[in-house]
Amino acid sequence: MNFRVRLFFILLILGCADSVFAQQDNDPIIEEIIESVVANQTDDYDYTELVERLNYYKKNKINLNKTNKEQLQELVFLNPLQINAIFEHIVTNGKLISDLELQSIRGLDLEAIRNLLYFADISAPTGFENFSFKKLFTDGENDLLIRYSRYLEKQKGFSIPASSGKSRYLGTPERVFTRYRFSFSNNIQFSLNLEKDAGEKYWNNTNDQTGPDFLSSSLYVKDIKRLKKIALGDYSLQFGQGLTLWSGLGFGKGADIFAVAKQNLGLKPYTSVNEFSYFRGAATQINFGRFDFTPFISYNKLDAGVALNPLTNLEDISSLQQSGLHRTENELKNRRRVGQLVFGGNVQYNYQKLSLGLTAYHSKYEQNFAPGNALYNKFDFSGNQLTNVGFNYSYTLNNTYFFGEVAHSLNYGFAYINGLITSLSPIVSAVLFHRNYQKDYYSFYNQGIGESSTAVNEKGFYAGVQIKPNRKFGIDFYTDLFKFPWLKFGVDAPSSGYDILGQFNYTPNKTTRFTLRYQFQNKQKNAPEKLFTNILDFEKKSNYRAEVQYQVNSIFSLRNRLEIVQYNQESTTTKFGFLAYQDVNYSPLSSRWSGNMRFTLFDTDGFDTRIYTYENDVLYGFSIPGFQNQGIKFYTNVRYNVKRGVDLWVKYSYTKFNGVITVGSGLDEIQGNNRSEAKVQLRVQF
Amino acid sequence: MTKFYLSLLCVFLHLEIKAQENYGPKITALGTAGVAIQDVWSASKNQAGIALLTKPTISAGYENRFGLKELSNKSAVFTLPLKNYTVGAIFNSYGIDAYNEIKTGISLAKAFGPKLLIGIGLNYHQLSITNYGNANTASIEVGLQYNVLPKLWLASHIANPNQSKYSDDAEQVIPAHIQFGGTYIFSDQLMITTEFEKVLDREADFKTGLEYKVVKFVALRGGISVNPFKQYAGFGVHYQKINIDFAVASHPVLGYSPQISLGYEF
Repeated sequence: MNFRVRLFFILLILGCADSVFAQQDNDPIIEEIIESVVANQTDDYDYTELVERLNYYKKNKINLNKTNKEQLQELVFLNPLQINAIFEHIVTNGKLISDLELQSIRGLDLEAIRNLLYFADISAPTGFENFSFKKLFTDGENDLLIRYSRYLEKQKGFSIPASSGKSRYLGTPERVFTRYRFSFSNNIQFSLNLEKDAGEKYWNNTNDQTGPDFLSSSLYVKDIKRLKKIALGDYSLQFGQGLTLWSGLGFGKGADIFAVAKQNLGLKPYTSVNEFSYFRGAATQINFGRFDFTPFISYNKLDAGVALNPLTNLEDISSLQQSGLHRTENELKNRRRVGQLVFGGNVQYNYQKLSLGLTAYHSKYEQNFAPGNALYNKFDFSGNQLTNVGFNYSYTLNNTYFFGEVAHSLNYGFAYINGLITSLSPIVSAVLFHRNYQKDYYSFYNQGIGESSTAVNEKGFYAGVQIKPNRKFGIDFYTDLFKFPWLKFGVDAPSSGYDILGQFNYTPNKTTRFTLRYQFQNKQKNAPEKLFTNILDFEKKSNYRAEVQYQVNSIFSLRNRLEIVQYNQESTTTKFGFLAYQDVNYSPLSSRWSGNMRFTLFDTDGFDTRIYTYENDVLYGFSIPGFQNQGIKFYTNVRYNVKRGVDLWVKYSYTKFNGVITVGSGLDEIQGNNRSEAKVQLRVQF
Repeated sequence: MTKFYLSLLCVFLHLEIKAQENYGPKITALGTAGVAIQDVWSASKNQAGIALLTKPTISAGYENRFGLKELSNKSAVFTLPLKNYTVGAIFNSYGIDAYNEIKTGISLAKAFGPKLLIGIGLNYHQLSITNYGNANTASIEVGLQYNVLPKLWLASHIANPNQSKYSDDAEQVIPAHIQFGGTYIFSDQLMITTEFEKVLDREADFKTGLEYKVVKFVALRGGISVNPFKQYAGFGVHYQKINIDFAVASHPVLGYSPQISLGYEF
């Protein structure tokens, strides 16, 4: 405690010291973009890839006169109609000569232009224009980053003696992440990620496992004649609307209503530390005029739990594990347990505003998937191989963008989605889509949009409207109706529900922004009290959010948020959750120091009313913790620019819970009522 | 499980058949958010909305609720602009021979200057249930619409404020409600309308709808209401003097209710 109190004060002093603070990377624009697309927030998903991508383009701006559709799609905040409008403008009026010209493009509002110019301009250098191997080493950029973080209190999993024979954490309590990037212009990228989570060992050498806990590497080359892309090592593939094949980063329903129409990026190197949903092998994209062909092959070992099948006396896969945690004996045993071979290809036809794609791939596992025992997983996949095919399209007609995909897992079911984005007037745009995912449609790389995270066992209809009368006001509104034709975990009957979100933004000037948001969800799930059998109750959850951000002067900016959750299940009393925070951002233009801090107060009636908020972190760091019960949290985040190309970040957070004697559960449990975390990160660019 | 669904269905049906108001397919397709709309069907929704109609207009509609013939609704509206006033008439028949509700009404609307419209309606309700007998009663409605900004109309409407009913022991009520809302006309092509509604003894509802004219004579419409959650869609064709409108309402549990109307402007 003493140590923590001291650290707290040291950081506080650092934070308040009159030393001049430096350029800040907790970029409000990037933050805003991420928060608008990150919808179904979960505690542990790593969005680093997106943060990294946006930071990359912030530094290496896209040349709008030489860009392509895919590159603009990577920016995520432009909708397909806006992207088409930019290209149409260039085709009809010739190259963009001035930034101001963007304002004359239909559908590009001022906010979109502001964001676009943050990542793009009209004359940035591109490509292999002056390539030589000598230049590769002189002009290539190296980026090495090491991050270390840990809880300062001891968690239960680390204090159980080995002799007890109980499950315990075999590794050390710190999380260590090492990231290396080499890039030459936009065309050659090499990336290496090395990570161990808290509780994992630096080097595994038990259970036939040797090596670091998570190692991922990729080499990515672009634009060598017909070969538009080559990826060796770890890569991700994203096609169509995500029903057939979509690995890695994807978004769901959120405040950005246009994000529901997925913008496929095809082949990309995999640079994230999420330890699932990526491919390991080789892939390339070859261009034949209007056709693009992307063949790929991957062999990887996946984390899986297994169960003995009494009939065959063989081990079956009972579940694929996505957490990437290998801390205990059991978790280590399941680490990289099942081999998976995936191969296939995609053909894409692009002509003017029409895009058609055909995807087919086969995946084969070394073991069978266990047939489901419970009624809700009766239609789960069993067997050890699967072939998926899918057809996707998009077409722009006047002011309307049509999109859709039909997917089929051979011998099993179908899934399809059809929708449109239309700009009804310069002020009003609308999004509509319908989906039908059958209960026996399977894809191991499925991120189709819907209420569930994968496109299976769901039907629904989504309608959204965005109104932007001028640069100051904005309204986003959507409703989504969904039905689950078959049972789900914790829902013992076919069920239905709906989701409504309304958001109002007011931006009176460049540095001030007010946001009001209301979200209501009504879903069915098993009633808490069982009679003869489980019956379904409606579970209702309302979120009210108010936020204001403003700049006090050129150095300080502040932000406040207030969020209230109201939850009730028919047969129970209403529960409430409350969260408020104060952010202080300190970022002078020319100084070696910069930083921010936040004080959060939360008071919720437990898990059902937990509240998620996005938190500032060290660069590329990303966290959306969920708050439950009562307490306070304080964190401060400091960056120091040691010298050109060398930066150091420190983050310290302290959470104190009221009325508890332990924090966390299971092996993560900490004695006492508080938890603190320290994070140090060093980046060297050379 | 079947029993459970059956009982669920009954509960919902009970709630749904209690609300027999029919505003025609144009307003229905907008999520029934029609308080700030000006149309011949305003005669049954918000009487103020007929004040600016310039031609005598008649329209008749048929609704098939949840695909059940027994829950069908036949309705007709008529408006006639006079010198300083516009008068309207409505007729609405709901149910079958064994159970029938009929609402007949007349309304009067006047424009006070170009911005303020006020309308009142007087209705006569008849209820007849075979083997139970008949009952009658009357109710009044008042509405206004105000053009606050060039493109923005605000409106409110009150129905049956004195809570008249068939009799003290009849369960069938004449809903007493207050509605207010607004319509914003973005362009000749696009209009968005919203409405808050509170019916006595029911939960408050919010509705919103959008109309988009693809070409001058074809309008596409969509809307939602949140409590109960329903989605609506429809289209209208306005060709010379003829108006054909179609709407379908979708309830997550009970299913679809299509309706159609045919209108003529003299």
